[in-house]
Order: sequence, then C-alpha cells, then structure tokens
Amino acid sequence: MAEKVFMQGNEAFAESAIRSGCKYFFGYPITPSSELPEYYAKKAPTEDLVFVQAETEVSAFNMIAGVAATGKRAMTATSGPGFSLGCEAMSYMAAAGLPAVVVDVMRPGPADGDILAAQGDYFQIVKGGGHGDYYTIVLAPYSVQEMSDFGRLSFELAEKYRNPVVVASDGMLSKMMENVELPEKIEVENNFDWAITGAKGREHNVITTCALGPEQWEQFNLDLQAKFNLIQENEQRWEEFQTEDADVIIVAYGSVARIALTAIKIARENGIKVGMIRPITLWPFPKKAFDKYPDKDYFVVELSAGQMVEDVKLSVKDKERVEFYGRLGGISPTPQELFEKMKELYTK
Amino acid sequence: MKTVYERPKVLTDEYMKYCGGCGHGIINKLIAEIIEEENLAEKAIMIWPIGCSVYADRYFNVDSVCALHGRAPATGTGIKRALEDNLVVVYQGDGDMVSEGMAEIMHAGIRGEKFTVVFVNNAIYGMTGGQMAPTTLMEQKTSTSPQGRSADNAGFPVNMAEIIGSLHGCHYSERVAVNSPANIRKTKEAIRKAFKYQLDGKGLSFVEIVSPCPTGWGVSPVKALDWIGETVLNQYPLGVFKAPKEGE
Amino acid sequence: MKSEMIFSGIGGQGTILMGKLVCTAAAAKGMNVTLAPAYGQEKRGGRASCQVVLSKEIGSPVISEADTILVMDEESFKDYEKKVKAGGTLIINSSMISLTTARTDINVVEMPFTEIATNLGSARSSNMVALGAVVKTLDIVTLEDVKEVLRKKMKPQLVDVNLKALEAGYNFTK
Repeated sequence: MAEKVFMQGNEAFAESAIRSGCKYFFGYPITPSSELPEYYAKKAPTEDLVFVQAETEVSAFNMIAGVAATGKRAMTATSGPGFSLGCEAMSYMAAAGLPAVVVDVMRPGPADGDILAAQGDYFQIVKGGGHGDYYTIVLAPYSVQEMSDFGRLSFELAEKYRNPVVVASDGMLSKMMENVELPEKIEVENNFDWAITGAKGREHNVITTCALGPEQWEQFNLDLQAKFNLIQENEQRWEEFQTEDADVIIVAYGSVARIALTAIKIARENGIKVGMIRPITLWPFPKKAFDKYPDKDYFVVELSAGQMVEDVKLSVKDKERVEFYGRLGGISPTPQELFEKMKELYTK
Repeated sequence: MKTVYERPKVLTDEYMKYCGGCGHGIINKLIAEIIEEENLAEKAIMIWPIGCSVYADRYFNVDSVCALHGRAPATGTGIKRALEDNLVVVYQGDGDMVSEGMAEIMHAGIRGEKFTVVFVNNAIYGMTGGQMAPTTLMEQKTSTSPQGRSADNAGFPVNMAEIIGSLHGCHYSERVAVNSPANIRKTKEAIRKAFKYQLDGKGLSFVEIVSPCPTGWGVSPVKALDWIGETVLNQYPLGVFKAPKEGE
Repeated sequence: MKSEMIFSGIGGQGTILMGKLVCTAAAAKGMNVTLAPAYGQEKRGGRASCQVVLSKEIGSPVISEADTILVMDEESFKDYEKKVKAGGTLIINSSMISLTTARTDINVVEMPFTEIATNLGSARSSNMVALGAVVKTLDIVTLEDVKEVLRKKMKPQLVDVNLKALEAGYNFTK
C-alpha cells in the first residue's frame, strides 16, 4: 500500500487526475474550486502539463471539449455560477461524445450566493442543465480519498461511454483535508478511432452535432438515448451502511453523507435503528438500491431546499414514507441536529 | 489533353448547399486548394462554426469539428494545444465571431493562440435569414433593422481585422475580399500565408474575408459583388493590419 | 477512540497550521483525520477556523460539540463557547480575550499566549504555546508525537524555539 498523504480535497483530485494522464486543464477561478486550477498551474512546468486560464467558463468548457475531441484527457473545475455558463458545452459534449471531466464544487446559490458548502446544483448537474435530451454521469465523492479515487474513475467512465462526467463536490469536501492514498501514476495513450488527430492513413473523422433533417436528427437522438440507457443499466453506484436491520434509511451524498455517518451512530445509541443509502452516482441515480428495501422509512438530507428527494420519491414504493430535511445558505447540519430531527420524526 | 484545373481531392463529392452567389463556396474551395497544394490534408483540422458554413464538414476530406455558436476559437484552443503540430483552422462568420463569440476570439488573440482564423464577413446573419450583425453597415436594411441600422439603437460596424491586428498576440492580420478574380487570388495568398505562419509556430494568424451574401442582402449575385466594391469596402478597407517584422 | 476539536481565530494566528500539525501527528499513528473549515454564526472577514476530527472510523467532518475548543479572539469566543462538550475544555487566549464564560460544566484554561511566547523570546510562536495547551487535553496524540512532527515539518532554525513554546503551553496547567 502506498503511503498516505494529508491533503485537501481539491488538491487530491488534481493530483489524482495528473497521475491518471490528464495533462490538460482549462479553467476560470471561482471559490471554492480555485485550488484545482492553481494546482495544475503550479505543476505544469515540471509535469509536462498544459494549463490555460480561460477568459470565461464558457470558453473553459469549450476548450476541454476541444482536447477531448483529440482523444486526450482534459478537465475543468468550477462552482455553481460557472457551471451555469458551462451548461451549453455540457449539452454539446454529451451529444458530440466528448469524454471530458468537470468538477463542480457546489456552493450556496441561487445567483451569486456564497462560498460555503451546498448541494443546490443537483437539478442542474443531474437533470442536464443545458438544452436538449442529454445526461452527464455524475459522481459524488464523500471523502478526500474519493476525491482522489474519482480523479481516475471519472476519466475511465467518460471514455467508456464517450460522455462528459461531472464530479459533484461541495465547499466542505473540496476544502477539507484528510489522509489519502493516491493512485499510481499512469501514462495514457488513447488511440480512439473517432478522435480528431488529422486524417493520416485513415478516412477523415468528423465530430458534429448538426443533422440535415428531422429523421436523421431523431436517429441521432435515439442513439444518444441508447447510450444513456446503457449507462443507467451498468453504472448505478451506491454504498449502504447498516441498512439491513434499519427502520429508517437516511439518503445523503457528499459531505452530508459523512455527517450522517455520525448521526447514525448517535441514533443507534439512542434506540433508533438508522442506516444509510449513499448514492455515489447521482446520475444514473441508484434506483436499484431502493428496490431491496420497499418497506422502510426514508429520510433524505441535503444542503438544498429538496432536489435529490424527488429522485428518491421516484425510486421508492411509497413516497409518503419519504421525509426531507435541508439546510440552505451554506450551513451544514451537525450530526446531533440530524439525530434530533430523526427523533422528532420517528419516535412517538 | 492537358488538365488545367481539377476539383481538389480535399473536397468531397458532396454538393455544396450554399446559395447562388454566396462567397462561402469560393472560400471553402480556396482553403481546399491550399491544403492540397501544400500537402496538408493529413495535418489539417477544420473547426466549423454555427452559421452558413455549419455543414462544411461534409465538403472536406479532412478531420473536422463543428463547434458551438461563437465558441470555435475556444474549441480550437483546446485542439491546437493538444495537437501542436497540426494545422488548425478556425472558420467563422460575422454573427458567430463578432456577436456571440467576441470574448472567445479576442482572448484567442490576446493569448496568441497558434492557429489560423478565417473570418467570413458578409455584414449580415445569413443562416438565420438576414438579421442585423455587429458588422452590418450604417443604414443597411436587414430583417431586424428594417429602417436601416441606426447608431442610436445599434451602434457602429466593427472592424475585426484592425482590432485583432492591434493585439500583441496576433502575428498576422489581413483583410481581403472575394468580389473579383484578382481579389480572390489575393485572398488565396493571404490564407496560404496565414497557414505558413501557423506551421512556423507563430501567434494567431487572422484573415478577414469580405464576402457577398446576395440572399441576405436581397440583391442579385452580380449586384452583390458591385456593392462590395462600391460600399462595403469603404467601411472595411482591404489591407494588412498586422504583419511580422523583418526576420520574425 | 475519537477526539474532536475546533481551532478558531483570525487570519495570521496560525489556527489552521495548528489543526494540520495535530492531524499529521494523529495520521502518523494510523488514525483517520479530518480537518474541515469551520464557520461561526456568521462568516466574518478574516476569520480562520477549522474543525478537526481524529478517529478510528471515518465520520462527520462537522462537529456537534467539541472535546476541545481553542479561541484566539473575542469573536471566536462568542461563536464557540457554547460548542464545548460538557466535561470538555475551552482554551482562551487571554492575551486578546477579556470575556469570561459562565459555563461551569467545562474546564476553562485562560492562557496569555502572546506574553508567554514573548518571554521565550519569540512572540510569533504564540500559536505553538496554544497548540501545547490543546495537546495537553488530548489522548490520541502526545506531546512527543507533536514534537516529532515539528522537527520534521519546520525549518531547522525554527525548531528549537517552537518546541520551547509548545512545552510552555503544555506545562502551563498542571
């Protein structure tokens, strides 16, 4: 086992991405994501990386689309307002089959908002955000270790399905420091037959999202939907904690799932049998996890006014048994606070 | 029998769907000829915009990407940074570049991106049906300036070749036109020069081409060519606005 | 085995560094460590606070009530006085804080970090005095563990004075 290093979430992701062969980073500074571009900028001369500070997130997202079109690994990182600007390109990359990675470090919105932790970008990153019928794979790490792990997994999934991947971090997870085992460094030499590299010794390649007529365009869309269906079938990921004997299952992701771990402990010490389903992919949403437990109460906790809770309600047998608790404005609940809420809801 | 001219092999057999008298077909062909003459077909990557040339990937036997509206210089930045030895050509119209994508082109110039921009300026939105562009002339009637462009409401035309040429990151900027055989020959040489500078690893090379849009302008193809010479070039004078100094 | 603490002060007082040093010491002993930003009732300009969890298991980065809280300035005192666990310790920088707590269910340590450090000849080491006081309250990491980290992480010429400051803070309370 490699030695563990004490690292911040944003930096762990950047280091892992570098070790995973992502040599290209294009980004626009925004708190709380800025350590990611800073890390790449600092390492660029010694690690043979390309870092460009883009003029806008609009450009940054299109720059990574450009690199992805050549078959090489590229990423950007941003936060809510910047992700809003990038959504046009997310739609484009999903349609054009461009496998780039975007880290969205969620902060409280709407609009300018604040810079602490939040999860109010769920609808935007999970339901498309941009125009047209598309999805992006969304990974939700809950530790600095997973920030590192997903620095590699995100590229593997993006390339496997030729689809952009969003890593949904938040102001807590990205800023916190933990000990982490980083992946071994690999060299990546992709030779995708679809990539734009110059038509040498082969037919020329075209990457376009324009069709000449409605029939062709419907077929293009049906092909896209087939890709999304395949991802939904193959890639639902989640983790369960003490679900088997639980009466109440917390559903939480990201830093909230971490808070929930301690809340579960407090609740069990106080006689409430609580477990947790932690979605690791927010899209595809891990519906399969809920099939196993049709007769339990679900308690959804988010740093939002209630976004993922809609997907939970669509995934359970009885949506009347889904309760929600959210904090807004950048406030993270304490474990004790979650326990008090569960006590109020589930002990009569 | 001696062959004096052949369709460039860089072009596919696809029928070009540009309107009669449109300049895009000429400019597409010039680019294809240069790619062929300079033996660049295996190196060339065309980045097409949203606009009348949106389907031009179908006309070229080279790798192509169709970018989002206005974003081609950003897409091109990613591609050129990833493939430094390739010939990357960003092809844009005036609505695409000067309106939707002003930030992208300006910053490509500011950073001195090492690709070539072919900018087709026909002073109107062609694809969407003849609306006003930032490049539309004063008093010019379009479907969104039916009384003619007024300074009060829409400000003034934008001279991109001069603006981009003023940037330190730009290595070469020239405005040409495709309104006459002589000017078409000059256009071809300007593009060839731009490609050469790119392959020499210089900064942004920018060629603005004043081009007719008879459909958008509501005139015959011949009238359109006349109007360029009589009127459009008064606003958009031909010339070199940035050229490498001796030995550069 | 678990220990939760909050370090709160204003920028330049070294609160984040203290948290990092404690984490590094605990990580070296195989503990899971988490250092997360902490925010009071309001986010104020210049505030630099962190919450640190040392634990066998992975858990919440957000602390309900801390075993040990160090407050370096009065605003931090107001925010975090209430968050000390009953039986826990509130360490107060009496060089900068003249407020007193009414709580009787916690241990209160009032210590003039700046004066102590100045007497040692290095006012800039007052955060190491504070760190010594925090380490005194911990089981998971010992004074020697933290000294070891300082020896490894600090510039050689700074090690001695900071070790002295650390010890002074540790030995302030008997």
